[in-house]
Amino acid sequence: MSLDISFIGILIGSIMASSVPLILAASGELITERSGVLNLGVEGMMIIGAISGFALMVITDNLFIAIVGTMLSGVIISLIFGFLTQSLLTNHVATGLALTIFGIGLSAMLGKNFVGIPGKEFPILFSSLRESIPFFGPILFGHSIVLYFAFALPFLTNYFLKKTKLGLVVRAVGDSPVSASNQGINVILVRYCCILYGGAMCGLAGAYLSLIYTPQWIENMTAGRGWIALALVVFATWSPIKVLIGALIFGGITILQLHMQAIGFRIPVQFLSALPYLMTIIVLVVISRDSRKIKLNTPTSLGRIFYKEK
Amino acid sequence: MATDLRISNISKIYPGCIANDNVSLQFKSGKIYALLGENGAGKSTLVKILSGVISPDNGEVFLNEKNLKLSSPLDAKKNKIGMVFQHFNLFETLSVFENLSIDATEDNKSLRVRINEILKKYNFSIDLDVPVLNLSAGQKQKVEIIRCLLRSPKVLIMDEPTSVLTEQETEELFISLKKFCDEGILIIYITHKLKEVLSLCDEVAVMRKGKVVSVSQTQNEKVETLANKMVCQKLAKIRKKINISKNKDEIFKVKHLNFYSDDPFETNLINLNFSVKKGECLGIAGISGNGQNELFQILSGEIITPDTSIIFRNKEIAKLNPKQRREYLMAFSPEDRISQAAVPELKIFENVALNNFKSSNFFEKGLVNERKIKEHSKKILSDFSVNTDNVELKSQFLSGGNLQKLILGRELITAPELLICYNPTWGLDVGAINYIHETLIKINDQEKSTILISTDTEELLKLSDRIAVIYKGKLSKIMPSDEVTPEKLGVLMGGGSID
Repeated sequence: MSLDISFIGILIGSIMASSVPLILAASGELITERSGVLNLGVEGMMIIGAISGFALMVITDNLFIAIVGTMLSGVIISLIFGFLTQSLLTNHVATGLALTIFGIGLSAMLGKNFVGIPGKEFPILFSSLRESIPFFGPILFGHSIVLYFAFALPFLTNYFLKKTKLGLVVRAVGDSPVSASNQGINVILVRYCCILYGGAMCGLAGAYLSLIYTPQWIENMTAGRGWIALALVVFATWSPIKVLIGALIFGGITILQLHMQAIGFRIPVQFLSALPYLMTIIVLVVISRDSRKIKLNTPTSLGRIFYKEK
Repeated sequence: MATDLRISNISKIYPGCIANDNVSLQFKSGKIYALLGENGAGKSTLVKILSGVISPDNGEVFLNEKNLKLSSPLDAKKNKIGMVFQHFNLFETLSVFENLSIDATEDNKSLRVRINEILKKYNFSIDLDVPVLNLSAGQKQKVEIIRCLLRSPKVLIMDEPTSVLTEQETEELFISLKKFCDEGILIIYITHKLKEVLSLCDEVAVMRKGKVVSVSQTQNEKVETLANKMVCQKLAKIRKKINISKNKDEIFKVKHLNFYSDDPFETNLINLNFSVKKGECLGIAGISGNGQNELFQILSGEIITPDTSIIFRNKEIAKLNPKQRREYLMAFSPEDRISQAAVPELKIFENVALNNFKSSNFFEKGLVNERKIKEHSKKILSDFSVNTDNVELKSQFLSGGNLQKLILGRELITAPELLICYNPTWGLDVGAINYIHETLIKINDQEKSTILISTDTEELLKLSDRIAVIYKGKLSKIMPSDEVTPEKLGVLMGGGSID
């Protein structure tokens, strides 16, 4: 195998594609967690997104409806979580875990009839530029619109949290829901919105898998990516840009170790497979060492139940 | 325009507790009003109602004869009622400016201009772009005040504002409050500190057990008169009959107590030797940070020091841990109630069970005997007049005084031969302090001994039979307390000598 320039371009392009679901899900979960809600149902919401996207595509034969529908499905399933944790004040951790188990089971049941059906080709943008420019072509062009959106998302999220009034409100709620409530902010409403947004992004992340990345339905096709996204948020210390870096490292090492396995490196396959997890955590821990910054970014009330005094 | 705030027949009932019982009060701008009461008298409930955080079960609030519907904090804000809570309502991880901008309706630029005007006018110096967690308590309070001022309030309510402030900061606060008052803002000042009422306020309303018991001009009041109103009964002047008898047995004897630490925040203890007789109270005075923490921890067995000999009831206990020492009938009341003496998240009866005595039958075959513990807890609550009978209540909801009573009750129920307390009345109101003092004297009357480590000289002179001073880890000569004056103690505590 020759490591020429154009091959590296293609490699980077594929790394980017593989990190898209992580970026989407982690960015969504990041907003949820910044409002003080710990939703461990990411994996479940992703897998529901994956099956509903694929099913809608097969039924309606319309990719637009499939994409919108998949985000809606994420909203609906996260609404269950929101209702339980915010209105009925259940424990975040237990409810989130239940959501994941529920999502995996439900998707398997709904997906029975869709196994083996071939997917549809998702339109890619700027495909001519991809071929004509060496190296940068495969990196910058010839991707689906979802990928471009995913790569813009961490920056948009960062802008939203740091520069907008609404972002400030979200951070305030995550910092101290009691203070926020005493300031007249509707804490429950803010948290609901953040939960639903997180659900929509997780749904989209799932749909990316079943409609674009590997266009087909396979049971349990998210394969733990939801958990990785969750871990990314924590190890990126709730910073959207670091989430992007972490997702790229994870995607990168996943792709690279596959190539290394193919080439036949004399390292146990199990170790190579574990490498992405290990490296991502190490790198993120190293770049997020500043304990003061961690403290400033960490939503203080994360996972704690808030109820209003009457 | 003058402001007139009237509270009419406000009642608020919580399960097991009437927080506000038909409270009616009237306030007019141009004066500073004090709302005085012990912890748990219902002051905080009343201000929470005024600020819309909770709604009353009954009653109305009128501002300039307009009936206010205060069903959320927003309503209070709209009606120009500003509130600075005892526990700050700030977002620690956000910057000062972000904290102030969160509920602002204007754009950031003009807001910054207005904030700077306020900073200048009242001589506040605060960096707007640092996170709040980097500020001192006094600065945080200023941020809260600025937040109120930005809405040009008619009423400003301060809930126990000086509890976290230094002397200096308290003075600054009083100057600001007087300024606000001159500008026509009606100020309601909630406190349990009598001296503050007299030095700052014009009129004082005293609350007790949810009721307003008196409204008067502060110029007609003195510390004693206010204290009596606050706690209902005349506070007895407590002074112990000093009880030094040569021929009583030494029950507790410490020899060669040395402690060395590399931690710059700890104090080394150098060769302490002392003993306690049966039925005696040994007071240990000193300015905090002179080794009291370390001494308490060594006496209670949290720290074991080599080569030290501690004889208790003729047994060597220097190597025993706190649990074992308790089994020999020692008891401890540490300074920090909420993190050392009790677990705030646990219910009252669970906290009572924590001592885990062998003799108590709280645990049988590894199982918790809840019924027994609850019975026992109920007895403590009533014997030590804790202001609740609900043993299921989480300890964090008890006021400091009630928590201290609970802790003492828990320690004393085993009838210990020696109780070691460290600042037992720290941060408590007069009523609770009196109660604790009476209890400690009663222990000595029953021929049990106490060691009282305290930074409060008045308390030490009141309760001790003999007093020693700890200074930089060294213990002074032990003196009979009738030979000691506050002046003498002051000299010793400052490192001087008196011979």
